[in-house]
Amino acid sequence: MTGQQSRPLLVVGAGIAGITSALEAAEAGREVVLVERDASIGGRVLRNHHYFPKLCPPSCGMEINTGRLERNPRVRVVTRARVTGCRERDGGYEVTVTHAPAYVNERCTACGACSGVCPAKVKDAFNLEMAEVPAIRLPHPNAWPKLFVLDRQACPDGCHACKDACTYDAIDLDAEERTETVQAGAVVIATGWDPYPIERLPELGGGLSPDVIANVHMERMAAPAGPTGGKILRPSDQQPPKRVAFVQCAGSRDVNHLAYCSAVCCLASLKQAIYVKEQLPDAEVTIYYIDRRTPGRNEEMLTKVAAMEGVHLIKGKVAKVEPRGRVLALRVEDVESGRIVHAEADLVVLATGMVPSLGAGAGLFGLSSDDDGFGVEKPGVAVAGVAHRPEDVAASVRDATGAAARACIAAGRRA
Amino acid sequence: MAANSTLLPSQDFREALRRRGGEAASRCYQCATCSGVCELAPDEAPFPRRLMLWAQWGLADRLAADPAVWLCHQCNDCTVHCPRDAKPGDVVQVIRALVIEKLAFPSLLGRLVGAARSSWLLLLGLPIAFWVALLAATGHLAVPAGLPQNWAYEQLVPHLFIYSVFFPVAAWVILAAGVSGWRFWDLLACNGSRQGSFIVSLWPVLGEIATHKRFGICGTAKPRQLGHLTLMWGFVGAAVTSGLLIVGIYLQHLAMPLALSHPYKILGNLSMVLLLIGVALLVGNRLGDAKVAGASNGFDTFFLGVVVLVVLTGTAVELTRLMGDASLGLTLYVVHLGVVTSLFLTFPYSKFAHMLYRTLALVHVRMTGMDAKLS
Repeated sequence: MTGQQSRPLLVVGAGIAGITSALEAAEAGREVVLVERDASIGGRVLRNHHYFPKLCPPSCGMEINTGRLERNPRVRVVTRARVTGCRERDGGYEVTVTHAPAYVNERCTACGACSGVCPAKVKDAFNLEMAEVPAIRLPHPNAWPKLFVLDRQACPDGCHACKDACTYDAIDLDAEERTETVQAGAVVIATGWDPYPIERLPELGGGLSPDVIANVHMERMAAPAGPTGGKILRPSDQQPPKRVAFVQCAGSRDVNHLAYCSAVCCLASLKQAIYVKEQLPDAEVTIYYIDRRTPGRNEEMLTKVAAMEGVHLIKGKVAKVEPRGRVLALRVEDVESGRIVHAEADLVVLATGMVPSLGAGAGLFGLSSDDDGFGVEKPGVAVAGVAHRPEDVAASVRDATGAAARACIAAGRRA
Repeated sequence: MAANSTLLPSQDFREALRRRGGEAASRCYQCATCSGVCELAPDEAPFPRRLMLWAQWGLADRLAADPAVWLCHQCNDCTVHCPRDAKPGDVVQVIRALVIEKLAFPSLLGRLVGAARSSWLLLLGLPIAFWVALLAATGHLAVPAGLPQNWAYEQLVPHLFIYSVFFPVAAWVILAAGVSGWRFWDLLACNGSRQGSFIVSLWPVLGEIATHKRFGICGTAKPRQLGHLTLMWGFVGAAVTSGLLIVGIYLQHLAMPLALSHPYKILGNLSMVLLLIGVALLVGNRLGDAKVAGASNGFDTFFLGVVVLVVLTGTAVELTRLMGDASLGLTLYVVHLGVVTSLFLTFPYSKFAHMLYRTLALVHVRMTGMDAKLS
């Protein structure tokens, strides 16, 4: 192999798609640099309580992936880093990677002494800001790499309580940002997605009541490491809800919001209906839908949930959710009976879609996007996961494998 | 909800819907957002989702028999919230136009006015030409010599001409509208069984129309309520003034023109002001956001255009008399008589017919107890 041929692939984003692309390319013999913005890898998928349709925790699958990463010397995982510059060079890309200051270094053993003394609290990004955590903490219990992270800007002036508490000399409060240059043979953009903001859906109560949440919030509530310790509670009074309503296509398949179907929300709501019924067997769960999109084997999940006692599936897009005192009033036409239903719920879950996030892909690598904002590949730059198209975890993994193959071919062709 | 369970899809209806501005109906995917956001839809028989489905199928018979088509005031909450931009407000507007055409008597005139986008010049020009011809043939197309300073239009166009044209026109319109109204009332009967008497239910309906109570429930298009209400009362005032003038001329033997301070004149001029305000508000509304105001199509614009012409020429006719220009006044008066004739003659076939159909539909829902919204 010449030096040119051994130029690594650069994979941007270490969610399930980026991890998969990196591993598939590395296991096929390529050198890979996997760049992740956050302090730990796993992205959005790791924020789910369970995957559908098997209903197992994603941390389990993630362990397999981190095992593969640890065993494979060809992948270098760079967390807390961003791609900040790029220019085309020799048919590939010379990429600048900027590392955030390493306030906590690899000597950290995740003992937790620093967290215990930290006086500053920050919104917990991993838990979608539904809870507060110390400014220095492990990002979440399954974090890989298992290193603490510090939100430096939250530190009170002159505070060095954490550094004093650390017995491993793992904290450097004066650490500085640094950059490195990576010569990449080809690039995979796997920058994922953001949840559609429910504040843009005031007619569905989004942003008007704490008891109107998005599906992504429900995942965190149901997760044992979540803000409620895994209990499904009404945010306003921390009481278990008796009536839970799922509003499908909230801001999706809608020219006023996201024009496309995100392909996961129907199954996510069916899955979340199971969370509710497992925890709160007496709760009434109603799923209001336009269509029930459960293709392939996922159909079984629909059949299973539809047969559950106390679960109702009503055809009709919810038109209005209005907070009325302690309850939420829903208005929807039940299409099958042709009547308006005035329903009440204690907790409303808006099944919001996924907004593609192209990050550095759009700006630095000059990717164009389709009408809905999903990345369109170009020679030498493959796109994987939800940055590429709306898809579930399984499809993202398949998509990422394909993207890895395309990137390998592109890198090889130019060598 | 229709008693008739046989589906009779009409390709002609679908084609007409598309041609007349309802093509967005094909985008509807039946999510029911429209029915859910509609403030006017009764809980037991919500619309417009159902109407959108029938429109896609071309179920013209069901649409013609459904009072929901007329309960809709095109608030456009549905259009604003529709996730597919299928514009239910505009589609139901076109459905109303097609129902008017379907029930028209004779159907030829229904088709002629239905095609107002291309026939408007004929519909307006023919009545004007008729008046020109009538006055020319009788030597009234020139200002007579020796007109006093304080002349009245009667001295230019004798009242006999007005009566001999408008009485037969009115009789014909009542007959044509009566046949259509009867057909509609008959069709409505397949949707729910009516209880009680027509007249007893008509009174509260007229009361509701007088205040535009339903329009007031509208969300998005609520601003249209004031324009429509003002215009309607302007027309009512003008009609009452016309009646009073007949009383004034033949029973009270009042001399024309009436002084500006005469109560009849005050009522007439007040009506004129209301008409002007109403027309200004409605035209202004049309010029705004089409999603809020609703799209304008030929059928719709024709009616609004004729109303605007009637109001503007009527106002100009009075102002010209006050300025003393008899020659210009006569010209404007002939045009005014022409457009008023056009407004009357097209009543059963133009958007004006909503007065008839909506009133009947409101009485029907009251008699069947479907009227959950306002009772």
